[in-house]
Amino acid sequence: MKHLSLIAFAIVIFAQAFLAGNVHAKDIFFDSPWTLWQSADILIWTPDKEPAIDPKEFCLSLRRNNSGIGDPKCRLFGEWERDTVAMRYASWLSNNIEPGIDAHLLKARHPSMMAKIQALEDKIVLFIADKGKDLQIAIFDETTLEPRSAGTVAKTSDKIALGDDIASAFFGRHTKRRLTKEERLKKETEPDELYKETPTFRSWAGISAGYAQAQIPLTPYSWYKRKIRSRVSNYRATRDSVSLWNFMDDSTPLFTLYAGGIWFGFIGGEIFYRYSDHAVKIDDRDEVYEELDHWNFSQHEIGLNVMFARTYEPFKWLDLHLFAFLGFQYSFYAEDIELKDSKKKPSREYETRFKTEDPYKGALFGFGSQCVFLQHYGLSVRTGISSRGKDVYVEPSPDAAAEPTTIGASTVDWFISVGLEYHWTPFK
Amino acid sequence: MAALLFTGCADSYHWSSSHPTYKQAPYGELTITGLQKAFVITRTKWFANRLDFGDSTQIKATEFCAKAMEHEFRGGYSKLSVLPDSVLANFPEESQKLDDRIFMKGKLPEQGVTVSAPDGSVPPQILLIHEVIIGTDLKRENFFDYALIHNELEDKREVKNISAIVSYTLWDNVKQRPLFSAVDEIQHPVIKLTLADLEQLMRQTVQQIRKNMYTGAGK
Repeated sequence: MKHLSLIAFAIVIFAQAFLAGNVHAKDIFFDSPWTLWQSADILIWTPDKEPAIDPKEFCLSLRRNNSGIGDPKCRLFGEWERDTVAMRYASWLSNNIEPGIDAHLLKARHPSMMAKIQALEDKIVLFIADKGKDLQIAIFDETTLEPRSAGTVAKTSDKIALGDDIASAFFGRHTKRRLTKEERLKKETEPDELYKETPTFRSWAGISAGYAQAQIPLTPYSWYKRKIRSRVSNYRATRDSVSLWNFMDDSTPLFTLYAGGIWFGFIGGEIFYRYSDHAVKIDDRDEVYEELDHWNFSQHEIGLNVMFARTYEPFKWLDLHLFAFLGFQYSFYAEDIELKDSKKKPSREYETRFKTEDPYKGALFGFGSQCVFLQHYGLSVRTGISSRGKDVYVEPSPDAAAEPTTIGASTVDWFISVGLEYHWTPFK
Repeated sequence: MAALLFTGCADSYHWSSSHPTYKQAPYGELTITGLQKAFVITRTKWFANRLDFGDSTQIKATEFCAKAMEHEFRGGYSKLSVLPDSVLANFPEESQKLDDRIFMKGKLPEQGVTVSAPDGSVPPQILLIHEVIIGTDLKRENFFDYALIHNELEDKREVKNISAIVSYTLWDNVKQRPLFSAVDEIQHPVIKLTLADLEQLMRQTVQQIRKNMYTGAGK
């Protein structure tokens, strides 16, 4: 029962909507995003003897329907109504505006009509033609030779209601302030954004601090759990030795020195050196480590990036360069291990501890942005993913078992860093 | 290489365009104009050597073709009226776009102005023949693709076909809009050229126009 009443309610609502639609019968055939100016000059152009709406009342309708319209001026477009070519085009329009028509099929073809439309200069022409039951509406501005919008509204004898209908159907959009004469002149003479001068070559040097970890954001922790929780027993043994993060602490601060340059603000390169320090994750339960004072690896990486950038200039004093980079790197690990002073001779396990490859080869990619203040002082943020790997295949050797394990077939981490940079253009 | 590229695209041209309101091709009744000045013959010398028109092959052969075309139209439409070219004389020449690079030129009546026949009647539809190019082994893209029109045509020694390229618009005289515009290319193989071949070429041209106006309707 409850459902039935709900359905009945819905039917009533729909019926209301349909009825309402019929009362304010308007039909918009096409509507392109033309500019409605604040305090617009609206010229009413009609092929009929008497215009169907009253210009003054229409202005009031506009103000009632669009609070942003300011103080519009409406008048009959006598210049076009006295012109043969324009009137021929007007009667042609009223013959040709029909449902389903495309704007380009309504284009003005006569050269002198085209010239008239192009000379409108910010004025909006409202074409109204009486078709008996309906009024045909079309809107022209100087930007195209075809109507920007066209449609019909149902004709009523009440000119005020008619003006309201037209205003709500075609003039509901956001308004834009019209440029003054000076502003217009300035805009015409100011250089085109697209042709803005970019230095042929811009270079920079910077220093940055950041943070790196094995887990890439937005990926599940379970992918990394085994690596991150892994501990090294007996100076060498882990469940698997694919990633360096099975052996070393992955989340560490990261420091970078770098210098780069870019041609035409578009394609560039960067050379960098990165440093971070990783403690070995020894298994504390293992008694063999009692002799150990500390054991960690410092990671040194040098590499080269290719970068592609796009420049924006939101303010005069700020250049914003967004870029993506792709590069390769060599990673070196310097071991820092020391026994406790009391221990004179290291254990056998100490002697056969794991070794790192020198160097690991890897790739990195990512994206970032450089905010350059006053053309020289840059603040840069970048993030990405870097990898280190080695050839998995090694020549089998008879005493492989006794030799120290070389680890890290594939190590991946994510990094983010913030840098201070100095930018300059060495040659103009 | 460029030629290769262009011929590669040749298949994808659109050679006609229909107004969305063009629903029915003219049937039984047709008004036509443009038959006086639309015809032109290329390689006049080749034609002059083979046809017995005396000195003025260009004038006489085009007249012959116009007559043949009119005759053929009369066969197709029981009520055919031919308007003199002068009905369009005061209108500017305009371009109609058929495809990205295909533009056809021709005089179209002004918006808001109906064309009336010399007897004062207003035909509802008029077939405007803009241009009929008659020659040997012609390709329409060489005449209507603006990227190709400046290419020099190779002068083929051996003639396989005589060809006609016709551009036309079916004009809605009441609402002053182009209902159907097209450029057609007709090839007619010849061994030894006679007037019958020219006549046959015009017959095929008219058949092609009628066929296209029919298939273009309601598209």
